[in-house]
Formats: sequence, C-alpha cells, structure tokens
Amino acid sequence: MNVAIFEEKEFLGGQLIKQTHKFFGSKDESAGIRGIYIAKNLINEIEKTENIDLYLNSMVMGYYEDGVITALVNNKMEKFIPKKVIIATGAFEKSIPFENDDLPGVFGAGAVQTLMNVYGILPGKDVLMIGSGNIGLIVSYQLAQARANVKGIVEISDHIGGYLVHASKVRRLGIPIYTQHTIVKALGKNKVEGAIIENIQTHEKKEISCDVICLATGLMPLSDILNQINCEMKYIPELGGFVPIRDENLKTTVENVFVAGDVAGIEEATAAMLEGELTGLYAAYEITGKFDKRINTIKERLKDLRKTSSKVVNGLKKLNLYEDFIVEPHESLGDLHKTGIPEEEKIENLLSSKKERFAILECFQKIPCNPCVSSCPTNAIKMDGLNEIPKLDYDKCIGCGNCVAVCPGLAIFVIDKKKESVILPYEFYPLPEKGEFVEILDREGNLLERNQVLSIRKMKDKTNLIEVKVSKENLKHSRHIRVVR
Amino acid sequence: MKNRAAVVIIGGGINGVSIAYNLAKAGVKDVIVLEKKFLAYGATGRCGAGVRQQWGTKQNCILSRESVKIFENIKDELKVDIDIEFKQKGYLLLAFTEKEWNQFHKNVQLQNSLGINSKLLSPQEAKEIVPFLNTEKLLGAAYYEKDGHANPFLTTLAYAKAAEKLGVKIYKGVEVFDIHVKEGKIKGVYTNHGYIATEKIVNAAGGWSQEIGKMVGVDLPVYSERHEILATEPVNEILGPMVMSFSYNIYCQQTPHGSFVMGYGPKETSKSMRSTWQFLETMAKKVTYLLPPTKNLRVVRQWAGYYNISPDRQPIVSSCNEVEGFYMAIGFSGHGFMLAPAVGVIMKDIILGNKLTWDVVLDIGRFERNEIIKEPSVV
Repeated sequence: MNVAIFEEKEFLGGQLIKQTHKFFGSKDESAGIRGIYIAKNLINEIEKTENIDLYLNSMVMGYYEDGVITALVNNKMEKFIPKKVIIATGAFEKSIPFENDDLPGVFGAGAVQTLMNVYGILPGKDVLMIGSGNIGLIVSYQLAQARANVKGIVEISDHIGGYLVHASKVRRLGIPIYTQHTIVKALGKNKVEGAIIENIQTHEKKEISCDVICLATGLMPLSDILNQINCEMKYIPELGGFVPIRDENLKTTVENVFVAGDVAGIEEATAAMLEGELTGLYAAYEITGKFDKRINTIKERLKDLRKTSSKVVNGLKKLNLYEDFIVEPHESLGDLHKTGIPEEEKIENLLSSKKERFAILECFQKIPCNPCVSSCPTNAIKMDGLNEIPKLDYDKCIGCGNCVAVCPGLAIFVIDKKKESVILPYEFYPLPEKGEFVEILDREGNLLERNQVLSIRKMKDKTNLIEVKVSKENLKHSRHIRVVR
Repeated sequence: MKNRAAVVIIGGGINGVSIAYNLAKAGVKDVIVLEKKFLAYGATGRCGAGVRQQWGTKQNCILSRESVKIFENIKDELKVDIDIEFKQKGYLLLAFTEKEWNQFHKNVQLQNSLGINSKLLSPQEAKEIVPFLNTEKLLGAAYYEKDGHANPFLTTLAYAKAAEKLGVKIYKGVEVFDIHVKEGKIKGVYTNHGYIATEKIVNAAGGWSQEIGKMVGVDLPVYSERHEILATEPVNEILGPMVMSFSYNIYCQQTPHGSFVMGYGPKETSKSMRSTWQFLETMAKKVTYLLPPTKNLRVVRQWAGYYNISPDRQPIVSSCNEVEGFYMAIGFSGHGFMLAPAVGVIMKDIILGNKLTWDVVLDIGRFERNEIIKEPSVV
C-alpha cells in the first residue's frame, strides 16, 4: 500500500519534537521516553519505509467532492486521488484576552516551546506562565532548564490543572503557583515589562515583573480542513471545541475520511499515537479486507489510558462513544491539588519503614503510568493497573535508584538513613562534581542546607541521579539541589 | 417566536431585509423575516460584492441606478451606524469581440439615456485606468466611474438593524417546511419552530425560491446555478475598478480591505454548493492572463453560491396570479445584491398597492406577454 504524508512544515514530528519531557503512559507504548526521542524513532521508521512518500513544506489545500486532494507542493498545486484520507492536523492554542495582550512579549506556550526546543532561542529572561495544565507546567519546567526565571504560574481555577507530579517538579524549583488568579493586564510600553494578576475571589492585585507572558490556556482542534470537507462537527467543550463526529474506528461522517490525534479532540500524546495507529490499520483493513487483530488491542489500550480521564470520556460520551464506560471518580488530593506539595501525613506514610535505605514513591495521583514497575530488579514495585498508585514492598526494595531514573514524573527518591544521603533525579546543567558542595532545596525550593555530592550517575536519557549528603532532619524534605559556583 | 404576522418574508438575504425595512418604513406593522441559517447565508454573502449600473436593459439600469443613489446615502437612509464599505472606483467592461463591442455601443447609449453616464474607452484609455491590464486583442472598453463595491455582509446587517429598529422581527435558524394555502389564498407558514398565521408571504429565498414556489403549487420560471468565487490575501491597492469580460467569462475586483475577489460563470449546472479545484485552476489561468500581477497573489479562500436565474436575466419582483398574498423577489441572476435597495422599494409598492416608484416592468406576467428583452451583459 502506498502512503503519502503531507506536512506543512519543513520537518516531521509536529508537537513531539518540542517535548523534551518523558511521557507517561504504559511501558507497552512509549512511557518513560522523551517526546523528542519518540519523534526521532518514528521519523526513522518512516524514512526507511519505501512505500511512504513524504511531502514536506506541502500544505494541503482542499479535499473535493470528486475525491481529489489538492496540495501546494513546491509552490505548485498538485492533485492526488487517495483511497483513504487520515487527518491528523492537531490543534492550535487558545488565548485569553487581557489589557495590553498585544504587547510584544506575550507568547503562546507552543511558540515558546518552538523557539526554545526547536530553534534554541530563549524568548526572555523572566517569564510569567498563565495556565497550570500540563503544558503550562511542562513549559515552565523547560524554561527553568533553559535558565529562564519563571516568576510564577497563574491558574484561574482553585486547583492545578495538570498532573501533580509535574506541579511538584516546578514547585521544588521555587516557582510559585497562584491558584484562583488570572492575568488582568500586561505592563510595559513597547514590550512586556510586567503583569498584573488578580485573585478572582478577593480581587487583590499583585504586580509581577517579567519580560515574557506565556499563555498556556488550552488547545482547540485545528479542524479547518474538516470543515472544508463538510464533516459533521459537534461542539464539545471537554474535547476542546468543535470536533468531528466519528465512530469508534475514528471514521468521520464523510466517506473515506478518518481523524486521529488532537484534531479529533484534545488529549495526551500517547492517545494520539494510539489513534494514529488505529486509523492507519483500520484504513488499511478497509482497502485490503485483511483485519489486523491489533486494532482491537489498541481500542483496549485506549480505554485503559482513559480510565482516569473523566473529561475526555465525558466528551466521547457526547459523541455516543464509550457509552458504558465508567470513569473512576477523582479522589480528593487535598492540598496537593492546590499547591503541588503533598501534605506531611502523606509523606510520613512513605517513611514508616524500619529499613535503612529504600525508595520513596511520591506518586499520589491516579494517572496512566507504569515505567517504575518494570525498572525494579527485585520486583518490589507493584501496580494493580495502569492507572493505579504504585505500591512499594519495602522488604524487597534495595534502594538501587533504578526507579528514580525512569519515573517520568521525577517523583521517586531514595533515602539512606544510615549514610544520611538522598538520591535525587536531576535534569539541569551544570552537573555538580563529586565532592562539590551544593545547595539542598526542599519541595518549595527553599534552601535547607549546603552539603556534599556523594555520587553522580549519568544516565543515557539525561535524567541523572545525584546522591547528596543530607543532615538527618532534612532527609525527608530534600528534593532538589542547586549548583552554586 | 411570534405566531402571527402581517407579512412573512422568507429569506434573510439582502433582498429579504431590504423588503422588510421598506415595508416597516412605510408603516406596515408585524413584519417577520425567516432565515433558515444566518443573515446573508446564501447568494448575498457569497456574491462578488460588485455594484454596477452598466446594464443592457432598461429595468436593470433603473434598478441599479436607484440602488446606487441609496448606497451613496445609506447612513441617512437607514440611520444605523454601520459602514458598508461602499467604494466607487468604477467598472471596466472589456470587449474582445466585434459582437461585444457592438453591444457595448448599444448599452452605453441606453445607459446614457437613463442618466448613467458611462462611456466607451479605447484600449489605451483602458490601460490608463488599469496600467497592468493585458490589452492583447482588446477592441475597447466601457467604463463608468460611479460603479463599484459594497460589503454584502455589512449592508445586510445595516438593513437588518434598521428594519429591527422599526419593529421587524428577524428569526434566524427558522426553516419553512410548508405554506398553508386555502382557496387560493395564503393562510400561514409551517416552520421548524411552529406555525405562523399570515395573509402575505414574500418569497425572497434566492437559490431556494423554486422550492418555496412549489409549496404554494406554483412552478416558478427560475433555476439555481452554482457559481464559484475566490478571495486572495489582502495587498496594497493596485486595482481601482471591477474588471469584467463577458467573452473571457471573468470578473475581478480589489475590495477596500485589499483582497482580490474574482469569479466566472460555470459550464455546467450543479446542485452542490461546494467548490471545486477545477475552478481554482481555470480562474488562475484566466485572471493571470488578463491581469498579470495577480500571479503573485495567494488564494486564501474559495467558495460557491447560487445564481437564481430568470429567463431574461432580470429579477422577478411580483405578486402571483394563482395565489393571493404570495409575492416574490426572485431570479436575480447574479446581481441581486446591487439591486436590493431599489427592489425593496418596488416590492413595498406592490404589497401596498401603490404606483411603482420607478417605471420598471418586473412582474412575472411579462414572460407570458412575451415582453422579454434578455439582459445581454451577465457573467
């Protein structure tokens, strides 16, 4: 079967090539792997597959009633007549209006990621992030890695939108999250010099100086081509806006047209990859008549992945999909949901072991993720299902740190009471030297003490393990280090 | 939604709202406009947005001349603060054949006799108006500087607002399923939002006017034809007038916003309102030949709409012999937008039983009386 890929950009990979963080999800898919490497692997696969024609720098313009697709290839309108069409155009960013929102220095989070991670350009020094969904949290973390100063994350809701492990990651860098706040004004004459944020309950205002305001306020399916084709669309806020009506095989209301990924509804990248595979296999089945059993497997995997995503599932129900599907109710995570910092009590439970050296799994939220389980050489980590909380068998745990290195949420640490040390995941430059004194920080990025680096394990995927000496009383609080030279 | 009205107008295009406005202005209470989608959804919102007075028949000349007078003073007329982006930079009509050139002579004579001061130009004179015009094989041109452009959406909105201020109710998303006729008289309309009792209905349904006629058992002598059109990215102003050629079958104008809007007549009729890639290819060839700098423009949009064609390419603004209380403003043949200000006035005259404001023959009976003079100048 011959496949043609049309891509408007001069390179493949879409959003994946900006995702420098490790993905959640199942080990069976790409969990624990950074988005950029997933993209690399997929691109390699495509390039070595002979029956895929790549049209880069090629914008699809329309799909007409007579079955012709037109695309602008090398500035010429070329025509193609495909048997099946899969539309995977992704999404675009929503914005929120505020005073002076047209000042230079107001960016979408996607633009910041593109500048930083594709072109290596830092958009500014001091950044105010608007939105605490996964994108807001992840981009804040990446900005900090690139040595920008993230002045805060503003969230209008009373709880953090993204995964809480991502929130904890940015909190330990000292980045505050202002829940129940929104931006009301950008300051500055010719460019952004600051912002005024406001507490939506008390209306108390706060001025924050910054040269970048980064908007991570949600995504909307990029559905222009679907409208041009006359696909029946439905407004479903849970899926990001107007989405195409489709069946469980992602077939739209227009014959031979499929959708996959964010254009079908905003979801995590892992779901998009599964949907891509599903539509590919299903379209092939319609052409050849040969049914690949993997189609059913993927549908099951998607269900598994969506077990805790009530938003997505409720959206799909409005499309008459997943009708009997029951989403597990969200448990209240108390302060963790508001601050990104787990309560004392939750931590104490993890420390109750009499052992000298063991892992601490600060993973309290049900999300689809399991790389820690298979990383453990002694099978000490158990999970009842992809979305369950991992449980550590303290008797089996030898405190090796493997799980610390693989956890996509950087939520696992090893403490050694006898040695008085903590093993931390570390994804920043510069790396400390063995024996160097570094600043030890707590979960909010506050300085606890200065102490010595005992060992460094440089990992291939760049989540390095740093073992630092820590005084006894700080063992349970030490969650990050800062290299000061 | 109200369930009773003096007049129900079917169609929220420019003619529907113009008729509604003129009825309300004349003191008719309880006028309702029903629009199945949204204002200007049909031909109005899809048209080329040109305003021309250089026609080949008396009726079209008078209607367009009077409409331009209203366009020129639209704010005084409607008393709403909406800029309809009316510009008068002319229409340049090109003659490439002897037959065309002869027709232009006749047209200009007729137009001049009706107060439309159009003139004939040599190819060189045409080039002075559009310096980059390809004048190869051009015999001459007709030009009138008072022709031009208006924004169909804003004009419709302006009329709708003005009508609403005078008490007209405009219901969007309301589709007429059937018309209640009893003993040859209109009694009401059935819609997806219920029944409205009325004794007068105006069929201003444009591309769907044939279907509305069938609801009262009348076979109207109109049919709908898909025409396609495109718009380019906006650029600085380089083209003043609408450039039009009947033999090359093309029109092209730069709007005040800077985009170029262009189209041509189709070879075959289609019931579809979707656009085609064939149009893009042919349009590009035509326009870049005639106006070479357009080859640098990028197309941003293409769309299609219906011309509701009448036998003589002139509108039918009329009552109906078979059904009392049934009126029609149909068959605009691709120039309904530019005639709408005057058509609203004429339809008001007909419904109120007044003498027509202008000396025009637009009634449906003209086809039976064999008084047909076909408009020769339509793309």
